[in-house]
Amino acid sequence: MTALPDLPNRRTRPKFSTLVVLSLAVAMALLLTLAVVLGRESEPPGLTVVTVRLWDQQVAAAYRRSFDAFTRRHPGIEVRVNVVAYATYFDTLRTDVAGGSADDIFWINNAYFAPYADSRRLVDVTSALGPHAPAAWEPSVVGQFTRDHRLWGVPQLTDAGIALYYNVDLLSAAGVDPAVLDSLRWSSDDTVDTFRPLLFRLAGDRTRQWAYNAANDLQGIYLNYIGSAGGVFSAGDRFVFDNPQAAEAFRYLVRLINVDRVAPPASATNDNGDFSRNMFLQGRMALFQSGTYNLAAVAANASFRWGVALLPAGPVGRVSVTNGIAAAGNSASPHPAAVRDVLAWMGSADGNAYLGAGGAAVPAVLAAQRTYFDYWAAKGVDVASFFYVLRGPRISAPGGAGFAAGFDALKPYFDEMFLGRLDVAQALAQAQTAANAAAKR
Amino acid sequence: MTSPSRAASDAAIYSMLGVGAIITLAPFVFGVVTSFTSARQFATGTPLQMPDPPTVANYTGLAEVGFGRAIAVTALMTAVIVLGQLTFSVLAAYAFARLTFRGRDAIFWVYIATLMVPPTVTIVPLYLMMAQAGLRNTFWALVLPFVFGSPYAIFLLREYFRTIPPDLINAARLDGASTLDVLVHVVVPVSKPILVTLALITVVSQWNNFMWPLVITSGPKWRVLTVATAGLQSQYNGQWTLVMAATTVAIVPLIVAFVAFQRHIVRSIVVTGLK
Repeated sequence: MTALPDLPNRRTRPKFSTLVVLSLAVAMALLLTLAVVLGRESEPPGLTVVTVRLWDQQVAAAYRRSFDAFTRRHPGIEVRVNVVAYATYFDTLRTDVAGGSADDIFWINNAYFAPYADSRRLVDVTSALGPHAPAAWEPSVVGQFTRDHRLWGVPQLTDAGIALYYNVDLLSAAGVDPAVLDSLRWSSDDTVDTFRPLLFRLAGDRTRQWAYNAANDLQGIYLNYIGSAGGVFSAGDRFVFDNPQAAEAFRYLVRLINVDRVAPPASATNDNGDFSRNMFLQGRMALFQSGTYNLAAVAANASFRWGVALLPAGPVGRVSVTNGIAAAGNSASPHPAAVRDVLAWMGSADGNAYLGAGGAAVPAVLAAQRTYFDYWAAKGVDVASFFYVLRGPRISAPGGAGFAAGFDALKPYFDEMFLGRLDVAQALAQAQTAANAAAKR
Repeated sequence: MTSPSRAASDAAIYSMLGVGAIITLAPFVFGVVTSFTSARQFATGTPLQMPDPPTVANYTGLAEVGFGRAIAVTALMTAVIVLGQLTFSVLAAYAFARLTFRGRDAIFWVYIATLMVPPTVTIVPLYLMMAQAGLRNTFWALVLPFVFGSPYAIFLLREYFRTIPPDLINAARLDGASTLDVLVHVVVPVSKPILVTLALITVVSQWNNFMWPLVITSGPKWRVLTVATAGLQSQYNGQWTLVMAATTVAIVPLIVAFVAFQRHIVRSIVVTGLK
């Protein structure tokens, strides 16, 4: 008689189903370990990491060079740049600030900073860097970010003013001397208007080539028209664009698009901010009214001769909008001293100069602007028109509590107005009511 | 020989199919073509122009903005969710299909009713839960809301499991199989097509998930592909060539997965009548 072979072994071997469950558990454990490894902070002990959030990849590259220089001077602090899409920037910033996980320093613009300042989520720059610090910065940007007599951000960039990019080849084909551009005047009175007749000469076939980029564009187009008509867009935290002067400005623009057809149809430009610039770069638009924010793209991509002239004057003169961006300190940051050091660097000529060195943006620190002018002078581009216009009256870039919600609310009415489907007076009245109601909420 | 009327009807059908194929595929073709176009050509040329010369600068540009990490995070998040969803959904669906317990059907239909709630409605409560638990901007926050199965997956599997002949399961029981044995040896092997389909649906939905990762994470640490792609666009510049390179990179794994498992998917559609 023989004993039962390997019975004990058979009893101890796990069942197949148990092995499957174990394998699943091991696989999950491995994946989660990988996640832990991936999330491990590469922060050397004793080093303070300050994070800076912004929305522009090009400027982020300049900041990285600037922060490398900062770390060489402050070896205990490392500054990391976090780029977030502009389209979602202010939505995520809001939840991050509310949730306590916002970066230590973040870019902010005039349109959105008011609620953060009012709720004291930002570092008071005047207290942190001293009362004399703002003297070194672009006064218009300092003004934009001052609320309740306190400055809530360190000015970083300024858009300067708005100007007219022109295609020399299209102008000469129409027999237009670029010198006349600096003396153009728009008006609803045809006997005074010199701009519209010029656009007729430059219009081309009006389907593949246009004279000008009249469009639903707040900064590049309609704020400047409202300003030069003597109107206002906003007052404090309220939208007040339903006024006769603004209506005159919008009527003029809508006529250029839908009656004269010297500008692209609103169906092409209402939702595509790049359309007009690309038409200009393709040599299919003679005049492109915009700011310094498009200068680098035009210089890099235009394959024709081009220049920059003053934007047209209106009934009350030549009025441009100017806008700026500031770096705001997060008042809930766990390392306020390091944040103050980084803000001081960003507001210094040495730290801010990197932003202008590539010509992509105008530094808001006055002593750092030389790098920007030198860059474009070396390229043979005269940027004076963007700055000359600021010597005259300006219309301020809108902002304030509830601006974002209000601006979203007015857009559908403005879209219809620029499409020519809603009367200007009616559109402005309805849009203003909707915008103020949304802003109040 | 084909009659003239039959030939005409075939021509009409194929023309319609051709138009449908062009409408469906053209955006992908444009995307891939644009990803090999220089930013300068894209800005100055027409959208239908072929790249001249083709460039890989957009792909190298992606590496410079940390796109590699976003791919790793997305892959890891998707893998964890797929593994979790399949495991927990199989268990739950089997319970709802084959186990008998009090209130089973009531629980099932209440659970399935949550399918009617749009995901955007649950985002705020989920966000608050994660924030209260201190999980904002963590890997856990990315995966926890999805890892324990979904009503859709459980519904799909339950319906499939109910089609498995009870005799098969009873025979296994007679052989002394436990519930786990039945699942591993009987139910899962015969449900391969539907499991592959479900895995693929989960991979696609999680790989393309945008809203939840956007809301719950901040910064590059746990940034997923979709959020990183959106981050390529700046205020005054769409950077479409870079964006198209990013979307091309993002769809390649999905196409590979679809091609690899196509046979199983077709079979599951045949078996379940899934539309």
